[in-house]
Amino acid sequence: MVKNLSIRQAFGKTLVKLATQDAGIYVVNADLKSSLSLNDFAKKFPSRFIECGVAETNAAGIAAGLAKTGKKVFLTSFSCFSPAINWNTIKQSICYNHANVNIVGSHSGLLSTDLGATHQMLEDVALMRALPNMQVFAPLDAIETEKIVSVIARSPLPSYLRLIRSQTPVVYDPKNSFTIGKSYVLKKGSDITLLGYGPTIIQAFDVDNAKIEIINCSSIKPLDSETILKSVKKTNRLIVLEDHQKNGGLGEAVASLVLSSGLSPKFIHLAVDNRFGQSGKDFQQLYKHYGIGVENLKEAISVIMSLK
Amino acid sequence: MLLVSRENYLKSISRELRLDLLDMIYHSGGGHIGGSLSSLDLMIAVYFSEIFHHKKDHFVLSAGHLCPALYVTLSKLGLFPKEILSSYSSFGSILQGHVSTDVPGVEYSGGSLGQGLSFSCGLALGDKKNTTICLTSDGEHQEGQTWEAAMFASKYHLGNLINIVDYNHYQIDGATDDIMPLGNLAGKYIQFGWTVTTVDGHDFKKIIKAIELAKDSDYPNCIIAKTILGKGVSFMQYDYHYHDVKNLPENLYLRAKKEIENHG
Repeated sequence: MVKNLSIRQAFGKTLVKLATQDAGIYVVNADLKSSLSLNDFAKKFPSRFIECGVAETNAAGIAAGLAKTGKKVFLTSFSCFSPAINWNTIKQSICYNHANVNIVGSHSGLLSTDLGATHQMLEDVALMRALPNMQVFAPLDAIETEKIVSVIARSPLPSYLRLIRSQTPVVYDPKNSFTIGKSYVLKKGSDITLLGYGPTIIQAFDVDNAKIEIINCSSIKPLDSETILKSVKKTNRLIVLEDHQKNGGLGEAVASLVLSSGLSPKFIHLAVDNRFGQSGKDFQQLYKHYGIGVENLKEAISVIMSLK
Repeated sequence: MLLVSRENYLKSISRELRLDLLDMIYHSGGGHIGGSLSSLDLMIAVYFSEIFHHKKDHFVLSAGHLCPALYVTLSKLGLFPKEILSSYSSFGSILQGHVSTDVPGVEYSGGSLGQGLSFSCGLALGDKKNTTICLTSDGEHQEGQTWEAAMFASKYHLGNLINIVDYNHYQIDGATDDIMPLGNLAGKYIQFGWTVTTVDGHDFKKIIKAIELAKDSDYPNCIIAKTILGKGVSFMQYDYHYHDVKNLPENLYLRAKKEIENHG
């Protein structure tokens, strides 16, 4: 029985654990303490919990300046505000100034369900992939969240951590360590490479197809070209599945990587295609409507297998 | 108290650096001269007085286009050779067209306005033992982020933060009062919980006194420095077309040089 756990709770808990051992860890928050499970952190470390109010642009600048005094800063909000509102401050004050800030954007993708188009951030990977110096990560589940947070707290480069709202299945092998720039084969297969990130990719386990190789691409930038190319070379069929716009998403990054290396596999990109999201009570309903649900994946598999 | 001899020394540096700045912009083909000339004395007051220790205190040039003034100041301090000033904004030069940490002594790379005060608040919060001075332009107070930072500085009691406003009344497209009036800027900062002083931004005695007072304050401090766009060159003064100059003709360059030598 697969249990469900909350990715954002895992984030909050991990940060408390890290901050207990490291007095340099700070949170710069924009009025979403409870939503990011940071109540404990704020209670235990009040002087290291900096509350900026609903002012994400200033919060990004504060985080940058604070990081420059040697603190390990986590900038926390919803991704529809940070990095969406404060992108240029992230570009200039964080990336260009080499300020080591970890930007944590929660409630990403259609998985924020009932909140609707304004809050379903479907462009964050595109925004953050584009920035020099910026690393981009999206954890598969609560366990991988814990691993990634511990790693980026020590990384010398700024990172964007894409979190989601819902409770999602835990499938990550706790014995696995997380390494920046490394992707993990979740299930071996011979005929199709399926790449994705976050809980969206977990749907692939509901597809009864022994020949599909499922790769967790939680390190979106840097990409693990070795693992990806090795798999694509073997299968010559590639599906990328993501809860994000097609434009600027992982699919484009992988297509560029694969084509540049001289491979030309059959390719299907399952992502939101140039549309806004909308409210829905459960994610399956939304995923189906936007073409990234389990049925869409099954269809894509049969299409890609029939392509000559 | 600033001794008369010290004041005269700063005045002589002001004349010397105004000439360096003019040379730099003339020989490199152009640059943001108007605001650089208005803010130069503010940077000299900071860097050439005892009130600021550039190895431990922080200086953030939020209005990154004013970098020519900072470059000549840091060069005069000996942080890099004066010879490279003419490479300003050329390919491969450390002297980028907007202020950059590639230049020794520069702590913040900027150019997109409104961000420096936030960054300065972060520095002031993380390093309470030392002073953080931010230099902003009047025009950039039209950016909402500046006011988000102003609220923050007050909430976190950043008494070690000083924002010096180079208030020259002009911006790229015209007079600030026409483009978007700032209204009662001092009153606004006071309402945001700051201590405010208004000074003549070309009077070293008054600027330095204001910074000394600010350092003693428990509140974040705003020094509104009334300055003159294009200060020292009659035909550039109060003319927003000199916000940025490209290929200054030789006769105008020589005239400007003469004016600075004689009066600056």
